[in-house]
Amino acid sequence: MSEVLRRLHLDGPGDPAPAWARVLGAEGVALTLLVGAEQTPEPLWCHPGLSARFEELQFTLGEGPGPEAVRTGWPVLEPDLDRVRPERWPALIPAATKLGVQGVCCFPLGIGAIRVGVLTVLCAREPRMGAQQYADAGALAAALTGALLGGDLRRDGDGSLLGVPEPPSELHRPAVHQATGMISVQLGVSMQEALLRLRAHAYGSERPLGEVAQDVVARRLRFRDDRTGDFTDDFDDDGSGPNSPDGRKG
Amino acid sequence: MIGMARERRLAEIFVEVADSLVDDFDVIDLLQRLSTRCVELLDVSAAGILLADAHGELQIIAASDEHTRLLELFALQHDQGPCVECYRTGRPRTNIDLTRPETTVAWPRFAVRARETGYVATHAIPLRLRSRVVGALNLFQTEAHRLGDDDIALARALADVATIAILQQRTLEQSHVENSQLETALSNRILIEQVKGVLAERWETSVDDAFAAFRSYARSRHLRLSEFATQIISGGFDTTEIPPPAAAADRSGDHRG
Repeated sequence: MSEVLRRLHLDGPGDPAPAWARVLGAEGVALTLLVGAEQTPEPLWCHPGLSARFEELQFTLGEGPGPEAVRTGWPVLEPDLDRVRPERWPALIPAATKLGVQGVCCFPLGIGAIRVGVLTVLCAREPRMGAQQYADAGALAAALTGALLGGDLRRDGDGSLLGVPEPPSELHRPAVHQATGMISVQLGVSMQEALLRLRAHAYGSERPLGEVAQDVVARRLRFRDDRTGDFTDDFDDDGSGPNSPDGRKG
Repeated sequence: MIGMARERRLAEIFVEVADSLVDDFDVIDLLQRLSTRCVELLDVSAAGILLADAHGELQIIAASDEHTRLLELFALQHDQGPCVECYRTGRPRTNIDLTRPETTVAWPRFAVRARETGYVATHAIPLRLRSRVVGALNLFQTEAHRLGDDDIALARALADVATIAILQQRTLEQSHVENSQLETALSNRILIEQVKGVLAERWETSVDDAFAAFRSYARSRHLRLSEFATQIISGGFDTTEIPPPAAAADRSGDHRG
Protein backbone atom coordinates (compact mmCIF):
# COMPACT_ATOMS: atom_id res chain seq x y z
CA MET A 1 0.00 0.00 0.00
CA SER A 2 2.76 2.44 0.89
CA GLU A 3 4.21 1.82 -2.56
CA VAL A 4 0.89 2.71 -4.17
CA LEU A 5 0.63 5.89 -2.11
CA ARG A 6 4.20 6.87 -2.88
CA ARG A 7 3.58 6.52 -6.59
CA LEU A 8 0.33 8.43 -6.50
CA HIS A 9 0.68 10.98 -9.25
CA LEU A 10 -2.58 12.17 -10.68
CA ASP A 11 -0.94 13.64 -13.72
CA GLY A 12 1.28 10.66 -14.40
CA PRO A 13 0.79 8.32 -17.32
CA GLY A 14 -1.50 5.31 -17.18
CA ASP A 15 -4.47 4.25 -15.15
CA PRO A 16 -3.70 3.53 -11.48
CA ALA A 17 -7.06 1.88 -10.73
CA PRO A 18 -5.93 -1.72 -11.49
CA ALA A 19 -3.05 -1.35 -9.02
CA TRP A 20 -5.41 0.08 -6.37
CA ALA A 21 -7.83 -2.81 -6.85
CA ARG A 22 -5.02 -5.32 -6.57
CA VAL A 23 -3.52 -3.79 -3.42
CA LEU A 24 -6.92 -3.43 -1.75
CA GLY A 25 -7.92 -6.96 -2.77
CA ALA A 26 -11.10 -5.40 -4.17
CA GLU A 27 -13.45 -6.55 -6.93
CA GLY A 28 -13.28 -3.06 -8.37
CA VAL A 29 -12.21 0.51 -7.69
CA ALA A 30 -13.50 3.77 -9.10
CA LEU A 31 -12.48 7.36 -8.64
CA THR A 32 -15.22 9.83 -9.54
CA LEU A 33 -14.55 13.58 -9.47
CA LEU A 34 -17.12 16.29 -8.85
CA VAL A 35 -16.66 18.85 -11.57
CA GLY A 36 -17.66 22.49 -11.82
CA ALA A 37 -20.16 24.58 -9.89
CA GLU A 38 -22.84 21.94 -10.32
CA GLN A 39 -20.53 19.29 -8.86
CA THR A 40 -21.28 16.97 -11.75
CA PRO A 41 -19.91 13.49 -11.13
CA GLU A 42 -17.31 12.50 -13.71
CA PRO A 43 -15.72 9.06 -13.42
CA LEU A 44 -11.97 9.48 -13.87
CA TRP A 45 -10.64 5.98 -13.32
CA CYS A 46 -12.57 2.73 -13.02
CA HIS A 47 -11.35 -0.82 -12.94
CA PRO A 48 -12.64 -3.23 -14.10
CA GLY A 49 -15.67 -2.60 -16.34
CA LEU A 50 -17.97 -3.62 -13.50
CA SER A 51 -16.86 -0.57 -11.52
CA ALA A 52 -17.51 1.72 -14.46
CA ARG A 53 -21.03 0.30 -14.87
CA PHE A 54 -21.75 0.62 -11.16
CA GLU A 55 -20.60 4.27 -11.11
CA GLU A 56 -22.80 5.05 -14.08
CA LEU A 57 -25.72 3.29 -12.46
CA GLN A 58 -25.63 5.12 -9.14
CA PHE A 59 -25.00 8.57 -10.55
CA THR A 60 -27.69 8.09 -13.22
CA LEU A 61 -30.18 6.98 -10.59
CA GLY A 62 -28.93 9.63 -8.18
CA GLU A 63 -28.98 7.21 -5.30
CA GLY A 64 -26.57 4.80 -3.68
CA PRO A 65 -23.56 4.86 -1.41
CA GLY A 66 -21.63 7.22 -3.71
CA PRO A 67 -24.22 10.03 -3.87
CA GLU A 68 -24.86 9.51 -0.16
CA ALA A 69 -21.17 9.83 0.71
CA VAL A 70 -20.96 12.99 -1.39
CA ARG A 71 -24.06 14.49 0.24
CA THR A 72 -23.17 13.72 3.85
CA GLY A 73 -19.38 13.81 3.74
CA TRP A 74 -19.40 10.47 5.56
CA PRO A 75 -17.96 7.21 4.33
CA VAL A 76 -20.73 4.75 3.47
CA LEU A 77 -19.63 1.19 4.07
CA GLU A 78 -21.98 -1.58 2.99
CA PRO A 79 -19.82 -4.66 2.39
CA ASP A 80 -22.93 -6.80 1.95
CA LEU A 81 -25.72 -5.27 -0.16
CA ASP A 82 -28.08 -8.10 0.87
CA ARG A 83 -28.12 -6.64 4.35
CA VAL A 84 -29.11 -3.13 3.27
CA ARG A 85 -32.77 -2.20 3.77
CA PRO A 86 -34.25 -2.23 0.23
CA GLU A 87 -36.04 1.10 0.71
CA ARG A 88 -32.72 2.87 1.32
CA TRP A 89 -31.79 2.69 -2.37
CA PRO A 90 -34.88 1.14 -3.99
CA ALA A 91 -33.78 1.47 -7.61
CA LEU A 92 -30.10 0.86 -7.16
CA ILE A 93 -30.01 -2.33 -5.12
CA PRO A 94 -31.83 -4.62 -7.59
CA ALA A 95 -29.87 -3.18 -10.52
CA ALA A 96 -26.53 -3.51 -8.72
CA THR A 97 -27.29 -7.06 -7.66
CA LYS A 98 -28.10 -7.87 -11.27
CA LEU A 99 -24.71 -6.50 -12.29
CA GLY A 100 -23.09 -8.82 -9.78
CA VAL A 101 -22.08 -6.22 -7.22
CA GLN A 102 -22.00 -7.78 -3.76
CA GLY A 103 -20.71 -5.06 -1.48
CA VAL A 104 -19.72 -1.39 -1.77
CA CYS A 105 -17.65 1.02 0.29
CA CYS A 106 -17.59 4.69 -0.65
CA PHE A 107 -15.18 7.25 0.77
CA PRO A 108 -15.88 10.93 0.13
CA LEU A 109 -12.87 12.99 -0.93
CA GLY A 110 -12.75 16.47 0.53
CA ILE A 111 -12.25 18.52 3.65
CA GLY A 112 -14.88 20.40 5.57
CA ALA A 113 -17.49 21.71 3.16
CA ILE A 114 -15.29 20.98 0.15
CA ARG A 115 -16.08 17.86 -1.88
CA VAL A 116 -13.84 16.93 -4.75
CA GLY A 117 -14.90 13.38 -5.45
CA VAL A 118 -15.61 9.93 -4.13
CA LEU A 119 -13.62 6.70 -4.04
CA THR A 120 -15.77 3.62 -4.54
CA VAL A 121 -14.49 0.17 -3.64
CA LEU A 122 -16.49 -2.88 -4.73
CA CYS A 123 -15.95 -5.87 -2.49
CA ALA A 124 -16.89 -9.52 -2.48
CA ARG A 125 -19.24 -10.84 0.17
CA GLU A 126 -16.66 -13.53 0.98
CA PRO A 127 -13.97 -13.16 2.09
CA ARG A 128 -15.14 -10.09 3.98
CA MET A 129 -13.09 -6.93 3.87
CA GLY A 130 -10.70 -6.86 6.81
CA ALA A 131 -9.69 -4.00 9.07
CA GLN A 132 -6.45 -3.54 7.13
CA GLN A 133 -8.32 -3.18 3.84
CA TYR A 134 -10.62 -0.55 5.31
CA ALA A 135 -7.62 1.28 6.72
CA ASP A 136 -5.84 1.09 3.35
CA ALA A 137 -8.88 2.33 1.45
CA GLY A 138 -9.22 5.19 3.93
CA ALA A 139 -5.54 6.05 3.52
CA LEU A 140 -5.92 6.03 -0.26
CA ALA A 141 -8.95 8.33 0.00
CA ALA A 142 -7.00 10.71 2.25
CA ALA A 143 -4.03 10.69 -0.11
CA LEU A 144 -6.27 11.35 -3.11
CA THR A 145 -7.94 14.24 -1.27
CA GLY A 146 -4.53 15.69 -0.53
CA ALA A 147 -3.46 15.23 -4.13
CA LEU A 148 -6.63 16.78 -5.54
CA LEU A 149 -6.62 19.75 -3.18
CA GLY A 150 -3.02 20.24 -2.28
CA GLY A 151 0.33 19.62 -3.75
CA ASP A 152 2.27 22.11 -5.73
CA LEU A 153 0.07 23.68 -8.31
CA ARG A 154 0.86 22.72 -11.83
CA ARG A 155 -0.96 23.13 -15.05
CA ASP A 156 -1.43 20.29 -17.46
CA GLY A 157 -1.88 20.57 -21.22
CA ASP A 158 -5.38 22.05 -21.23
CA GLY A 159 -4.68 24.51 -18.45
CA SER A 160 -6.49 22.81 -15.59
CA LEU A 161 -4.76 22.70 -12.25
CA LEU A 162 -3.52 19.39 -11.00
CA GLY A 163 -1.78 18.49 -7.81
CA VAL A 164 0.84 16.07 -6.66
CA PRO A 165 0.86 14.79 -3.08
CA GLU A 166 2.74 16.59 -0.35
CA PRO A 167 2.66 16.24 3.42
CA PRO A 168 -0.80 17.57 4.25
CA SER A 169 0.22 19.40 7.41
CA GLU A 170 -0.21 22.87 5.96
CA LEU A 171 -3.77 22.00 5.00
CA HIS A 172 -4.58 21.21 8.61
CA ARG A 173 -3.84 24.58 10.10
CA PRO A 174 -7.00 26.25 11.36
CA ALA A 175 -6.02 29.56 9.78
CA VAL A 176 -6.00 27.99 6.31
CA HIS A 177 -9.65 27.02 6.59
CA GLN A 178 -10.68 30.24 8.30
CA ALA A 179 -9.00 32.17 5.49
CA THR A 180 -10.74 29.95 2.93
CA GLY A 181 -14.11 30.86 4.45
CA MET A 182 -13.24 34.56 4.39
CA ILE A 183 -12.02 34.48 0.79
CA SER A 184 -15.16 32.64 -0.33
CA VAL A 185 -17.19 35.62 0.92
CA GLN A 186 -14.73 38.21 -0.42
CA LEU A 187 -14.87 36.72 -3.91
CA GLY A 188 -18.33 35.20 -3.82
CA VAL A 189 -16.95 31.81 -4.82
CA SER A 190 -17.20 28.25 -3.54
CA MET A 191 -15.04 27.02 -0.67
CA GLN A 192 -13.10 24.89 -3.10
CA GLU A 193 -12.30 27.77 -5.40
CA ALA A 194 -11.44 29.97 -2.41
CA LEU A 195 -8.91 27.40 -1.22
CA LEU A 196 -7.46 27.20 -4.71
CA ARG A 197 -7.14 31.00 -4.89
CA LEU A 198 -5.42 31.01 -1.50
CA ARG A 199 -3.02 28.29 -2.62
CA ALA A 200 -2.36 30.04 -5.90
CA HIS A 201 -1.53 33.25 -4.07
CA ALA A 202 0.85 31.43 -1.71
CA TYR A 203 2.46 29.70 -4.69
CA GLY A 204 2.72 32.92 -6.66
CA SER A 205 4.24 34.87 -3.78
CA GLU A 206 6.48 31.93 -2.80
CA ARG A 207 5.29 31.97 0.79
CA PRO A 208 4.01 29.11 2.99
CA LEU A 209 0.28 28.59 2.76
CA GLY A 210 -0.20 28.93 6.54
CA GLU A 211 1.55 32.28 6.61
CA VAL A 212 -0.57 33.74 3.80
CA ALA A 213 -3.67 32.36 5.51
CA GLN A 214 -2.76 34.16 8.72
CA ASP A 215 -2.44 37.41 6.81
CA VAL A 216 -5.96 36.92 5.49
CA VAL A 217 -7.36 36.12 8.94
CA ALA A 218 -5.59 39.15 10.47
CA ARG A 219 -6.92 41.24 7.55
CA ARG A 220 -3.51 42.18 6.30
CA LEU A 221 -4.43 40.62 2.97
CA ARG A 222 -7.72 40.75 1.15
CA PHE A 223 -8.86 39.08 -2.07
CA ARG A 224 -10.86 41.20 -4.48
CA ASP A 225 -13.33 40.09 -7.05
CA ASP A 226 -11.50 40.72 -10.26
CA ARG A 227 -12.37 38.71 -13.32
CA THR A 228 -8.98 39.27 -14.88
CA GLY A 229 -7.22 37.05 -12.42
CA ASP A 230 -5.94 36.63 -8.93
CA PHE A 231 -5.90 40.15 -7.64
CA THR A 232 -5.34 40.90 -4.00
CA ASP A 233 -4.99 43.92 -1.80
CA ASP A 234 -1.86 43.56 0.22
CA PHE A 235 -1.89 45.75 3.30
CA ASP A 236 1.74 45.22 4.16
CA ASP A 237 3.75 48.38 4.11
CA ASP A 238 6.62 46.89 2.19
CA GLY A 239 5.42 48.35 -1.06
CA SER A 240 5.24 45.00 -2.78
CA GLY A 241 1.48 44.90 -3.03
CA PRO A 242 -1.02 47.14 -4.71
CA ASN A 243 -2.56 49.91 -2.66
CA SER A 244 -5.85 49.41 -0.99
CA PRO A 245 -8.38 51.31 -3.04
CA ASP A 246 -11.34 50.77 -0.73
CA GLY A 247 -9.59 52.05 2.38
CA ARG A 248 -10.36 48.97 4.40
CA LYS A 249 -7.02 49.00 6.12
CA GLY A 250 -7.65 47.40 9.49
CA MET B 1 -7.04 14.34 45.94
CA ILE B 2 -10.59 14.11 44.72
CA GLY B 3 -12.88 16.12 46.95
CA MET B 4 -16.57 15.31 47.30
CA ALA B 5 -17.60 18.27 45.19
CA ARG B 6 -15.33 17.19 42.41
CA GLU B 7 -16.50 13.60 42.59
CA ARG B 8 -20.09 14.76 42.29
CA ARG B 9 -19.17 17.00 39.37
CA LEU B 10 -17.44 14.07 37.69
CA ALA B 11 -20.52 11.90 38.06
CA GLU B 12 -22.62 14.68 36.52
CA ILE B 13 -20.25 14.88 33.58
CA PHE B 14 -20.48 11.16 32.89
CA VAL B 15 -24.26 11.38 33.00
CA GLU B 16 -24.17 14.36 30.64
CA VAL B 17 -21.97 12.45 28.20
CA ALA B 18 -24.04 9.28 28.46
CA ASP B 19 -27.17 11.32 27.70
CA SER B 20 -25.52 12.78 24.63
CA LEU B 21 -24.41 9.40 23.35
CA VAL B 22 -27.91 8.01 23.09
CA ASP B 23 -29.08 11.03 21.10
CA ASP B 24 -28.04 11.96 17.61
CA PHE B 25 -25.28 14.20 18.88
CA ASP B 26 -22.71 16.55 17.42
CA VAL B 27 -19.29 15.12 18.17
CA ILE B 28 -17.43 18.42 18.00
CA ASP B 29 -19.85 20.09 20.36
CA LEU B 30 -19.61 17.19 22.80
CA LEU B 31 -15.82 17.12 22.69
CA GLN B 32 -15.75 20.85 23.26
CA ARG B 33 -17.90 20.48 26.34
CA LEU B 34 -15.64 17.68 27.51
CA SER B 35 -12.56 19.89 27.04
CA THR B 36 -14.23 22.60 29.11
CA ARG B 37 -14.95 20.04 31.82
CA CYS B 38 -11.28 18.99 31.85
CA VAL B 39 -10.30 22.58 32.54
CA GLU B 40 -12.84 22.83 35.32
CA LEU B 41 -12.12 19.49 37.03
CA LEU B 42 -8.35 19.45 36.73
CA ASP B 43 -7.95 23.15 37.43
CA VAL B 44 -5.88 23.75 34.30
CA SER B 45 -6.02 26.72 31.92
CA ALA B 46 -6.77 25.06 28.62
CA ALA B 47 -7.49 21.63 27.19
CA GLY B 48 -7.56 20.26 23.67
CA ILE B 49 -8.31 16.93 22.05
CA LEU B 50 -6.14 15.86 19.12
CA LEU B 51 -6.76 12.97 16.75
CA ALA B 52 -4.36 11.23 14.41
CA ASP B 53 -5.36 11.51 10.75
CA ALA B 54 -4.82 8.93 8.01
CA HIS B 55 -1.21 10.09 7.70
CA GLY B 56 -0.56 9.56 11.42
CA GLU B 57 -0.35 13.31 12.05
CA LEU B 58 -2.17 14.80 15.02
CA GLN B 59 -4.89 17.34 14.33
CA ILE B 60 -6.97 19.35 16.76
CA ILE B 61 -10.61 18.30 16.93
CA ALA B 62 -11.88 20.33 19.88
CA ALA B 63 -10.59 22.72 22.51
CA SER B 64 -11.80 24.28 25.74
CA ASP B 65 -11.72 27.66 24.05
CA GLU B 66 -11.44 28.52 20.41
CA HIS B 67 -8.91 31.29 20.54
CA THR B 68 -6.81 31.23 17.45
CA ARG B 69 -3.57 31.37 19.44
CA LEU B 70 -4.50 28.23 21.30
CA LEU B 71 -5.64 26.45 18.13
CA GLU B 72 -2.35 27.27 16.46
CA LEU B 73 -0.50 25.81 19.43
CA PHE B 74 -2.34 22.54 18.93
CA ALA B 75 -1.82 22.74 15.18
CA LEU B 76 1.94 22.98 15.70
CA GLN B 77 1.84 19.49 17.17
CA HIS B 78 1.35 17.74 13.87
CA ASP B 79 5.06 16.95 13.99
CA GLN B 80 6.44 17.97 17.37
CA GLY B 81 5.45 18.38 20.98
CA PRO B 82 4.38 16.29 23.96
CA CYS B 83 1.27 14.96 22.19
CA VAL B 84 3.37 13.53 19.38
CA GLU B 85 5.51 11.68 21.92
CA CYS B 86 2.48 10.53 23.81
CA TYR B 87 0.88 9.31 20.58
CA ARG B 88 4.01 7.44 19.50
CA THR B 89 4.77 5.79 22.83
CA GLY B 90 1.19 5.35 24.06
CA ARG B 91 2.23 6.69 27.46
CA PRO B 92 1.14 9.89 29.19
CA ARG B 93 3.64 12.73 29.33
CA THR B 94 2.70 14.72 32.40
CA ASN B 95 3.93 17.70 34.42
CA ILE B 96 6.22 19.02 31.70
CA ASP B 97 7.84 22.24 32.86
CA LEU B 98 7.82 24.55 29.86
CA THR B 99 10.02 27.11 31.58
CA ARG B 100 13.04 24.80 31.60
CA PRO B 101 14.70 24.80 28.17
CA GLU B 102 16.27 21.36 28.73
CA THR B 103 12.86 19.70 29.07
CA THR B 104 11.64 21.07 25.76
CA VAL B 105 14.75 20.80 23.65
CA ALA B 106 13.08 18.26 21.38
CA TRP B 107 10.21 20.61 20.49
CA PRO B 108 11.68 24.10 20.02
CA ARG B 109 8.84 25.69 18.01
CA PHE B 110 6.17 24.26 20.25
CA ALA B 111 7.89 25.34 23.48
CA VAL B 112 8.53 28.90 22.32
CA ARG B 113 4.95 29.30 21.16
CA ALA B 114 3.53 27.80 24.35
CA ARG B 115 5.60 30.15 26.52
CA GLU B 116 4.61 33.15 24.41
CA THR B 117 0.97 32.23 24.95
CA GLY B 118 1.63 32.29 28.70
CA TYR B 119 1.77 28.60 29.56
CA VAL B 120 4.29 27.25 32.06
CA ALA B 121 3.33 23.57 32.17
CA THR B 122 1.70 21.03 29.86
CA HIS B 123 0.47 17.42 29.92
CA ALA B 124 -0.40 14.90 27.23
CA ILE B 125 -2.67 11.91 27.87
CA PRO B 126 -3.21 9.21 25.21
CA LEU B 127 -6.62 8.59 23.65
CA ARG B 128 -6.73 4.81 23.52
CA LEU B 129 -8.82 2.47 21.47
CA ARG B 130 -8.09 -1.00 22.83
CA SER B 131 -4.41 -1.56 22.05
CA ARG B 132 -4.16 1.40 19.68
CA VAL B 133 -3.55 5.05 20.42
CA VAL B 134 -5.74 7.27 18.23
CA GLY B 135 -4.90 10.70 19.63
CA ALA B 136 -4.12 12.70 22.75
CA LEU B 137 -5.67 14.96 25.34
CA ASN B 138 -3.48 18.03 25.82
CA LEU B 139 -3.62 20.21 28.95
CA PHE B 140 -1.97 23.57 29.57
CA GLN B 141 -1.40 25.54 32.76
CA THR B 142 -0.57 29.21 33.18
CA GLU B 143 0.29 28.57 36.83
CA ALA B 144 2.31 25.54 37.74
CA HIS B 145 0.79 23.10 40.16
CA ARG B 146 1.64 19.44 39.87
CA LEU B 147 -1.07 17.08 38.72
CA GLY B 148 -1.04 14.05 41.03
CA ASP B 149 -1.81 10.43 40.21
CA ASP B 150 -5.52 10.94 40.93
CA ASP B 151 -5.63 13.89 38.54
CA ILE B 152 -3.90 11.87 35.84
CA ALA B 153 -6.31 8.96 36.37
CA LEU B 154 -9.18 11.40 36.00
CA ALA B 155 -7.67 12.87 32.85
CA ARG B 156 -7.33 9.35 31.43
CA ALA B 157 -10.98 8.64 32.18
CA LEU B 158 -11.99 11.83 30.37
CA ALA B 159 -9.75 10.86 27.45
CA ASP B 160 -11.46 7.47 27.25
CA VAL B 161 -14.87 9.13 27.23
CA ALA B 162 -13.71 11.33 24.36
CA THR B 163 -12.65 8.24 22.38
CA ILE B 164 -16.00 6.58 22.97
CA ALA B 165 -17.82 9.72 21.87
CA ILE B 166 -15.89 9.89 18.61
CA LEU B 167 -16.55 6.25 17.78
CA GLN B 168 -20.18 6.32 18.84
CA GLN B 169 -21.38 8.94 16.46
CA ARG B 170 -23.63 7.86 13.67
CA THR B 171 -23.53 4.14 14.34
CA LEU B 172 -27.30 4.10 14.35
CA GLU B 173 -27.84 2.97 10.80
CA GLN B 174 -24.53 2.57 9.10
CA SER B 175 -21.68 0.27 9.98
CA HIS B 176 -18.84 2.75 9.73
CA VAL B 177 -15.46 1.50 10.72
CA GLU B 178 -13.33 3.21 13.26
CA ASN B 179 -10.75 4.84 11.02
CA SER B 180 -13.45 6.47 8.94
CA GLN B 181 -15.03 7.82 12.10
CA LEU B 182 -11.79 9.48 13.10
CA GLU B 183 -11.20 10.94 9.66
CA THR B 184 -14.74 12.27 9.39
CA ALA B 185 -14.56 13.85 12.82
CA LEU B 186 -11.51 15.75 11.63
CA SER B 187 -13.27 16.82 8.46
CA ASN B 188 -16.15 18.19 10.54
CA ARG B 189 -13.63 20.17 12.51
CA ILE B 190 -12.40 21.81 9.30
CA LEU B 191 -15.98 22.68 8.43
CA ILE B 192 -16.17 24.67 11.67
CA GLU B 193 -13.04 26.62 10.74
CA GLN B 194 -14.46 27.38 7.30
CA VAL B 195 -17.71 28.71 8.73
CA LYS B 196 -15.81 30.87 11.20
CA GLY B 197 -14.14 32.53 8.22
CA VAL B 198 -17.42 33.02 6.38
CA LEU B 199 -19.10 34.65 9.37
CA ALA B 200 -16.07 36.72 10.36
CA GLU B 201 -15.99 38.16 6.85
CA ARG B 202 -19.74 38.88 6.74
CA TRP B 203 -19.74 40.53 10.13
CA GLU B 204 -16.30 42.10 9.80
CA THR B 205 -15.32 40.66 13.13
CA SER B 206 -12.61 38.33 14.41
CA VAL B 207 -12.91 34.60 13.77
CA ASP B 208 -13.00 34.03 17.52
CA ASP B 209 -15.96 36.36 18.03
CA ALA B 210 -17.68 34.92 14.97
CA PHE B 211 -17.44 31.44 16.40
CA ALA B 212 -18.80 32.49 19.79
CA ALA B 213 -21.90 33.98 18.13
CA PHE B 214 -22.30 30.95 15.85
CA ARG B 215 -22.07 28.48 18.70
CA SER B 216 -24.37 30.31 21.06
CA TYR B 217 -27.00 30.56 18.32
CA ALA B 218 -26.64 26.86 17.49
CA ARG B 219 -26.86 25.83 21.12
CA SER B 220 -29.86 27.98 21.87
CA ARG B 221 -31.72 26.24 19.04
CA HIS B 222 -30.25 22.76 19.56
CA LEU B 223 -28.66 22.70 16.12
CA ARG B 224 -25.76 20.37 15.43
CA LEU B 225 -22.69 22.51 14.79
CA SER B 226 -21.51 20.66 11.69
CA GLU B 227 -24.95 20.53 10.06
CA PHE B 228 -25.58 24.17 10.83
CA ALA B 229 -22.16 25.05 9.40
CA THR B 230 -22.96 23.10 6.22
CA GLN B 231 -26.25 24.97 5.84
CA ILE B 232 -24.57 28.35 6.23
CA ILE B 233 -21.81 27.52 3.74
CA SER B 234 -24.25 26.19 1.15
CA GLY B 235 -26.30 29.38 1.45
CA GLY B 236 -29.27 27.48 2.86
CA PHE B 237 -29.48 29.65 5.96
CA ASP B 238 -29.89 33.41 6.19
CA THR B 239 -27.09 34.42 8.56
CA THR B 240 -28.72 37.76 9.34
CA GLU B 241 -30.90 35.65 11.65
CA ILE B 242 -27.92 35.19 13.95
CA PRO B 243 -27.23 38.07 16.32
CA PRO B 244 -23.73 39.19 15.30
CA PRO B 245 -21.08 39.60 17.99
CA ALA B 246 -20.97 42.97 19.74
CA ALA B 247 -17.49 43.52 18.37
CA ALA B 248 -18.93 43.65 14.87
CA ALA B 249 -20.50 47.01 15.61
CA ASP B 250 -17.30 48.41 17.02
CA ARG B 251 -14.66 46.72 14.95
CA SER B 252 -11.19 47.09 16.32
CA GLY B 253 -8.08 46.85 14.17
CA ASP B 254 -6.23 43.83 15.41
CA HIS B 255 -7.76 40.41 15.02
CA ARG B 256 -4.68 38.38 15.60
CA GLY B 257 -6.10 37.03 18.82
